Amino acid sequence: MEQTRRDFLKTSVAASAAATVGLPVTQAVQAAAMEAEEGWQWDKSVCRFCGTGCGIMVATKNDRIVATKGDPDAPVNRGLNCIKGYFNGKIMYGKDRLTQPLLRMKDGKYAKDGKFTPVTWERAFDEMEKQFKKVYKEMGPHGVAVFGSGQYTIPEGYTMAKLMKAGFRSNNIDPNARHCMASAVVGFIQTFGIDEPSGNYDDIEHTETVITWGANMAECHPVLWARVSDRKMADPKVKIVNLTTCSNQTSDIADSEIVFKPGTDLAIYNYIAREIVKRDAVDHDFVNKHCVFATGPYDIGYGMRGTSKYAFEAEKDTQAKELKITLDKYEAIAQRKKEGQVVEQKNRAKPVKHWQISFDDFKKGVEPYTLDFVAELSKGDVDESLESHKKKLKALADLYAEKGRKVTSFWTMGMNQHYRGSWVNEQAYMVHLLTGKQAKPGDGAFSLTGQPSACGTAREVGTFAHRLPADMVVFNGKHRERSEKIWKLPAKTLNPKVGSHITKILRSLEDGSIKWAWVQVNNPFQASANANHWIKGARAKDNFLVVSDPYPTVSGKVGDLILPTAMIYEKWGLYGNAERRTQGWRQQVNPPGEAMGDVWQGLEFAKRFKLKEVWGEHKIPGLKGKGYENGMLPSVLDEAVKMGYSPEDTLYDVLFATAENKKVAWPHDPAVTKGHGNHIAEKLGDGWFPEKALFDEYRQFTVNFQHDLADFDTYMRDDVRGLKWPVIDGKETQWRFNEKYDPYVKKGMGFEFYGKALKATPTGNLDKPTSKEKKKLAGKAKIFFRPYAAPPEQPDNNYDLWMSTGRVIEHWHTGTMTRRVPELHRAVPTAQIFMHPDDASKRGLKRNDVVWIESRRGKVKSIVETQGRNRPTKGYTFVPFFDESVMINMVALDVTCPMSKEEDFKKCAVKVYKA
Amino acid sequence: MNLSGILVVTTPPEIDALIDTLNAMPGLEVHNVDRDSSKLIVVQEAESIHDEIDGLKKIKKLPGIVLADMVYHYFAEDESLMPELPEDLDELTGMPQSVVPEYLND
Ligand code: SF4
Repeated sequence: MEQTRRDFLKTSVAASAAATVGLPVTQAVQAAAMEAEEGWQWDKSVCRFCGTGCGIMVATKNDRIVATKGDPDAPVNRGLNCIKGYFNGKIMYGKDRLTQPLLRMKDGKYAKDGKFTPVTWERAFDEMEKQFKKVYKEMGPHGVAVFGSGQYTIPEGYTMAKLMKAGFRSNNIDPNARHCMASAVVGFIQTFGIDEPSGNYDDIEHTETVITWGANMAECHPVLWARVSDRKMADPKVKIVNLTTCSNQTSDIADSEIVFKPGTDLAIYNYIAREIVKRDAVDHDFVNKHCVFATGPYDIGYGMRGTSKYAFEAEKDTQAKELKITLDKYEAIAQRKKEGQVVEQKNRAKPVKHWQISFDDFKKGVEPYTLDFVAELSKGDVDESLESHKKKLKALADLYAEKGRKVTSFWTMGMNQHYRGSWVNEQAYMVHLLTGKQAKPGDGAFSLTGQPSACGTAREVGTFAHRLPADMVVFNGKHRERSEKIWKLPAKTLNPKVGSHITKILRSLEDGSIKWAWVQVNNPFQASANANHWIKGARAKDNFLVVSDPYPTVSGKVGDLILPTAMIYEKWGLYGNAERRTQGWRQQVNPPGEAMGDVWQGLEFAKRFKLKEVWGEHKIPGLKGKGYENGMLPSVLDEAVKMGYSPEDTLYDVLFATAENKKVAWPHDPAVTKGHGNHIAEKLGDGWFPEKALFDEYRQFTVNFQHDLADFDTYMRDDVRGLKWPVIDGKETQWRFNEKYDPYVKKGMGFEFYGKALKATPTGNLDKPTSKEKKKLAGKAKIFFRPYAAPPEQPDNNYDLWMSTGRVIEHWHTGTMTRRVPELHRAVPTAQIFMHPDDASKRGLKRNDVVWIESRRGKVKSIVETQGRNRPTKGYTFVPFFDESVMINMVALDVTCPMSKEEDFKKCAVKVYKA
Repeated sequence: MNLSGILVVTTPPEIDALIDTLNAMPGLEVHNVDRDSSKLIVVQEAESIHDEIDGLKKIKKLPGIVLADMVYHYFAEDESLMPELPEDLDELTGMPQSVVPEYLND
């Protein structure tokens, strides 16, 4: 390339970069930049990856993406992107992109042991339908399932939730987001009665203290971390504390790093609470007006199977803890019981039940958590002195307790993927509510999410086994009624029985209680712990597994039918990020070959079902309650006819292409579409705009229901870079529950925790409820006492190291997309096992040695890293999960938080030896 | 040829020394300096595309760096828009190009 051209390009790169971050550039430079970009069309969009939700500008030319950059106008990232966000434009161009449906065939017919063979869409849907109808007839709505996603666009999640719940009358749809933030959700609902954070990212610029708990923000929420580091540079008063089980990059700018033993975060929170009480740092006025105290049972199990029938021999000892444990020395003190006491796990079926207690009882609960006790229990680094650890814990309590100091706590998977994830989430609110540091600018416990639309789709749309849109639940009759009304369904169409969560779907494929499943926008067979069991289940003779994916993946490989799927900028969509911000984008380019968007796949499948095939009577195992005494979901066909439907109508007609929705025409207003296409509307060819019609239909659930969203076209506007719900009179809400910012708070209240769920409970003492009568607590938040409980599997003489899985900055989840970007793949080609150099040498290992990592459940090969970005203390190892050739989930343990059913990917015992 | 625009944030006392250090590093040129905010825009030219990432890592390690991140990338327009996968990706994941990736059927 000529020198002048090169200089010219450099100048334009500099100009674009400067403009992106708001630095001034000269006019000449700007002109040069514009010339280089001739013929490019720039449009706003959103990053495909993490829950931060950065705005991205995408440039297209001739139906290809030619460049991306951080969106300077996006309030989330102000022009910045992290390294993987920065390569968004390339994820769609991996050379093994799937472009045709593939079906396992032998002799021209579908065969479970056949080879993947290209087929037409028609043929693909024929087989899918045939297999579905066979299972549905034999087992009913509970025999089929959908693996959904926190990476679904809102219209995608809505399409599938409606198809499953209203169409097939099955609640067996559950997202991978279950593994990401279900514990956070339980924390929110239990504490506030409504999901999602009170604050927003601007807390960073308002706060004086950032405390990260089990969140390696520097790698996993890098752009937010850039805002935190900016904040620290700007104000010397700002303090950062990183609480972690493994020294990591987030510690680099922290004032203090507290390395704790896995699971002892439960005890550290109680120590802080005890200090707040002892020092009388309680904001009594706030607590009296706005809070109550509560607790619940401790013997709730660990979310494993209750039977050893399916367990491998080696895992039976861990599995046995599901039913019975023996209290260790620390648990005994922490729970005011005796060491060695055997505790049967009697409340496994009702882990979320709880009751109100007095402040005195709460004080009694936290009393054992003295500095001496908690420091000894929680010290995670054997090389650190107890004195040093104590000093850090005390300093941490000082920060929380200091009157007038603003504190923001952030957490992600360390607290969510936890055998007591819901408890520890509640505890985060405990310390913030006690001190009145919640729902104020710069003050708040803030749960970060992992996935780009875990909030916007999985949670708000409700693609969970128990949820309906806008925080409603299937087991609440009023919620079903409201949903049936909006969806124009006959009464009693919706199934009140909670469906299977994602781990249960996997277990059910193994034990034959689910036989047909559809995987969308996720890769559960790589991403779920204890994977050997689930892979076996997928391959079981009677099971039929459909996998929608743009690339071949582990899930595709164990599936029976693969559907080639359009990716992010190949379709219209909206995502909702961790600060309640809903953001939309237009289709930028067409998908390659025959690949099609998930919305279209759902709609086409819906065309294959007539009402008479799905809305008849069904037996639902375990269905109880008023009106369902015989365990039957009644036929609603007569009622449907009365409403003007015909039994011959298809689910496509009744649920999706309704008269109302068809009024939303494609092509749509050019002021919104700006010349962009819509491959889905064009392929359907019946003149409507499904993404817009479905979003605006979904919106009805949210308006005047504490979750108000704006309409579709608003989110597409150039001057709107997302809006934080509730959006009222066109205005977003910055801090919820705070009268100054949130129109839902009644005037004069100051604060009001107005969420409606679980706002009446029995009352009792620390040990049990003493009165069944329900006491109301409208408008108030709950401060929970939760004790320390020990992890069910810990290192022993045989499996002598802790192992945690997680992310690295360069890769997204199972690497399906980021490993196709050469730059990212080159940067981190394979998953290493991070370990302490002494742990390595003790085993005769050195850096770059190939080793086996083995647990009770399986083993994988990996490469030793002793000097990397993660610096585990002795006894602890970390293995990222992005790499399918190091499938660490074959080793990881499928313990879940019993309340949230979220798996604990952070704690299991392994041994490591030379391969 | 690969070009990237990197935002570097430093502090006022470090800024001049840092500009010299950056300009002296191979492939790096400081293009914009904003003294009010102590921000620099550095353009990096790298032979192979993965050198860009190594380069960024080196910048991050320099003294006086508050923040260094890529904010803009030039996708060599006149070369292949569809990047060739490095050989070792095929090796590692066994995913050669075909309608039915072999990987799925092995
Ligand atoms: S991955 Fe996350 S932090 Fe990085 S650019 Fe995307 S949204 Fe932002």
